[in-house]
Amino acid sequence: MIQPTRRNFIVGAAAAAAGATGAIKTRMAFAGPDAEDNNELLVFVFLRGGMDGLSLVLPITGADRSHYETARSYLAVPNTGPDAALALDGIFGINPNAAPLHDLYQANHLAIVVAAGMTEANRSHFDAMEFIERGTPGNKLTSTGWLTRHLASAPNLPPEIIMPSISVGSVQATSLLGDMNTINISDPDSFNLQVGPWEWRSAQRVALRHLYTQDSTWLHQAGLQTLDAVDIVELNTGGNYVPSNGAVYPSGSFGDHLQVVAQMTKLDLGLRVATIDLGGWDTHEGQGDQGQGYFGGEISDLAQGLKALYTDLDGSGASNYTGRMTVVVQSEFGRRLRENADHGTDHGHGNLMLVMGGNTNGGIHGQWPGLANEDLYDGADLAVTTDFRRVLSEILIRRMGNNKLGVVFPGYADYQPLGIVTGVDLPPDYSADGSAIFNDGFESGDTSRWSLTTG
Amino acid sequence: MASKDGMTPDRRQLIHKAGSPFRKAAARVSEGTRSSAGGTRSMRRPGHKPHSKALPAPPSAAVIALNRLAFGPRPGDIAHFNSLGSTDELRLIAHIDQQLNPAAIDDSACDARLVAAGFTTLNKSQAQLWQDHYLGDPPWNVRIQPVYETERATFLKGAHSRRQLLEVLTDFWHNHFNIYCWSSSRIYPLWVHWDRDIIRGNTMGNFRQMLQDVATAPEMLYYLDNYTSSNAGPNENFARELLELHTLGAENYFGVMLQGDVPTDGQGRPLGYVDEDVFEATRCLTGWTINFDTGFFEYRDDWHDRFQKHVLGDHYPSDQPPMKDGQDLLDALASHPGTGRYIARKLCRRLISDDPPQAVVDAAAAVFTANVDASDQLAKVVRTIVLSDEFLSTWGEKIKRPFEIAVSSIRATQAEFSWALDESATDSFLWMYDQASQPLFSWRTPDGFTDVKEAWKSTTPRVGTWRLVNWLIDREDDGIYRAAVVAHTPTDIRTATALADFWIHRILGRAMPESERYEIIDFMAQGHNPDLDLPLATDDDTQERLRSMVGLICMSPSFLWR
Repeated sequence: MIQPTRRNFIVGAAAAAAGATGAIKTRMAFAGPDAEDNNELLVFVFLRGGMDGLSLVLPITGADRSHYETARSYLAVPNTGPDAALALDGIFGINPNAAPLHDLYQANHLAIVVAAGMTEANRSHFDAMEFIERGTPGNKLTSTGWLTRHLASAPNLPPEIIMPSISVGSVQATSLLGDMNTINISDPDSFNLQVGPWEWRSAQRVALRHLYTQDSTWLHQAGLQTLDAVDIVELNTGGNYVPSNGAVYPSGSFGDHLQVVAQMTKLDLGLRVATIDLGGWDTHEGQGDQGQGYFGGEISDLAQGLKALYTDLDGSGASNYTGRMTVVVQSEFGRRLRENADHGTDHGHGNLMLVMGGNTNGGIHGQWPGLANEDLYDGADLAVTTDFRRVLSEILIRRMGNNKLGVVFPGYADYQPLGIVTGVDLPPDYSADGSAIFNDGFESGDTSRWSLTTG
Repeated sequence: MASKDGMTPDRRQLIHKAGSPFRKAAARVSEGTRSSAGGTRSMRRPGHKPHSKALPAPPSAAVIALNRLAFGPRPGDIAHFNSLGSTDELRLIAHIDQQLNPAAIDDSACDARLVAAGFTTLNKSQAQLWQDHYLGDPPWNVRIQPVYETERATFLKGAHSRRQLLEVLTDFWHNHFNIYCWSSSRIYPLWVHWDRDIIRGNTMGNFRQMLQDVATAPEMLYYLDNYTSSNAGPNENFARELLELHTLGAENYFGVMLQGDVPTDGQGRPLGYVDEDVFEATRCLTGWTINFDTGFFEYRDDWHDRFQKHVLGDHYPSDQPPMKDGQDLLDALASHPGTGRYIARKLCRRLISDDPPQAVVDAAAAVFTANVDASDQLAKVVRTIVLSDEFLSTWGEKIKRPFEIAVSSIRATQAEFSWALDESATDSFLWMYDQASQPLFSWRTPDGFTDVKEAWKSTTPRVGTWRLVNWLIDREDDGIYRAAVVAHTPTDIRTATALADFWIHRILGRAMPESERYEIIDFMAQGHNPDLDLPLATDDDTQERLRSMVGLICMSPSFLWR
């Protein structure tokens, strides 16, 4: 399933009639005189398990510091000593294991949005992830991911892109659910068909493509999607990937997966969207006192990894990828303010979001609700003052030039920019008209009936 | 970035690359990797049409049953199924009743293979496992041996056990009560106990009993932290997943809401649960912990929260007898109609389709609820699903997951592995398998591997499983192929057409759609008359081509449907 804009679909039909060379002219004609292709890259990093944001960015002064220390006698990141938080703005500090993020913050490449999340709480990991990735809080029956709808509705993408989106990991991320143009990849070195009797590999591959061309069911489409993806990756990669600018990725799958993002970006095949995960944040027990231990290690991987990605892509001239890259980091929810007796934390509500890129307005954004008892959500958790869709919408509008919020986030209606990134403001289009493409028969098979992932 | 030369910028860039050192890479790639004109196809392109809603027509009951109640047919299985009765309905009834009584199925051949593999941990008691593989800080390879042997035995039984439904349901329940086996050195020593006694021992039994075994299994108490949960420091991790994943399911979660605001059914019972129920359930289960000296469950009354509780509409008085709060909680969860619907829906999702028809879910849920005390409750639920109209009328709503692809291709090709710890071909197989997105017992979060096609049709599991079957038909040690494709081909089958038809039927147990079949024949004929004999017995190249053809059949859409 491609989810083209209606324009692209019409272009496709016209192109088929006009022949190959006619396609581009037709596209130009339809695109209008002032439509420019947008070549921004959006990297969506999901921290699965409920990352304890209060152990990453935390108050270092005032009454909230006292509340914080009272609630977290073991876990609180200290204000002094060798493990002290690194000051950000005089009010907040950042876990010292995140020193690379502190560097990015000081260089104005990192924005921190405090107290963000879903305005309606849900303390289930699996529900919350579904809601966020589908972009429809409260509804996990939505048949497409929010990034799928962004790519389908963006008015400023060329109709043909060799590698529009990648989803790095073992299966395609739910935020790209239903997108038939995505390459789901974990390791480029094994993303090939160079296995089996070697003298017949090539002929077998021809036959394999023919087999998947014989019908047009969802499986046949998935097979062709895969064969196209393998062609592209095989043709354009090979040998060991060497990061640029001395970037050093952390060892382990997160570092490996970030390198895949960097590698695919540098192929210049048109990458617009990449998703990547880092799991292991469900720290109910033995989280690590004072922001160290297990959690400190996780944060260190996250921070080193993001910094390495930025460094790797921060070249000059044609290699200045950071100049058109925005990385968003979020988790399904934050964790409870009060630590539990096992030196861990249980499921909470509000959390921070990180936005990194060359066009970021560094600093702390959003409204801090406070940690006094009466300020907490449900008497227990950091409240949510910024809807996560507000952050994502600003990036969509200002960086990606897509104002179709009614399509990407149906039901979301009160967007205001926070000023997290630079860019041109467009009036948000809340109309769901464009979403007709998801319901008018072009919908992917029966995914409209597809229901719960986890139950 | 407007185009001036009739090419999109990205296409220009690709061609630019082809003129650079990438030309070499491009030249290496065979013709079959390129589309007709202008180099690589784009993933996003105009006229790239959405797929049709048409699905393949349902095959015979034999094929459906052997792909959903078994890991695909071995040679002879289809004929055996068809000998069970005079109609599909009667055959299916006979088949399911046999499979739901696994103890009565002679599995001596599989048992002999397990013995031959030389496993040493699979018959150890829980106490022995703890003693031998945890206490005294044994070396790494000893600690993990129960996991390694369980993993290999799981493949062995999938490939060779005649109790196939037991294997299918074991896979289901492992994912339902998922534990990431590598999460702790206190978990992998006991993995044999978890697999054998908790999962396998209950797959066709009583759900309440299974819940009891799970909630008192040290593996689960450790994985979800309940072992530390006490009155002084309650830990809600297990209680939350017990409600959300194990019993009522997220479909019955009403979120952050007051208990009194949850709508009730005709008997005044809340229709679902809220966060307060999670907190109260946590209190019920305080003191359910592990004795790390013995590796057994232990109840510590001094850790238990003794005061009154309110869960799912029920009042629990203070100072109940030992463990009674927890037992009452498990009773309430196991008998709640929401649990019946959730378990029924998940089983239907495994056995029929991602979004199963409500009628069969309701029928299965009714059987679940009517048999909450029956010792064969879960067998009755499965039987209801299998004998529903929907079971035989649904096809193509799902594909095999990577584990099913791996095992069914071994079964279809009769590939031989000893699965012993010291067999390098087994290690290589598992290494290839693990790249296909479903490494056994290794899903990290408690929800288990997903069971929906949207995930499994992703490109990584597609590529990974294609590579796996190609590896399988090509692996040889000292001149002996693991899949003895040539040896299994009768000597009178020698034309491309006959070879294709023979192997299609042997692997699929049915015909392929004609258009797919022609591609298989074309591959085998390679432009020659498909009805001329090929020199299979004497020509290495023809033998290689036949192996590659068998791989191709295992990569085809027809092999994947279920």
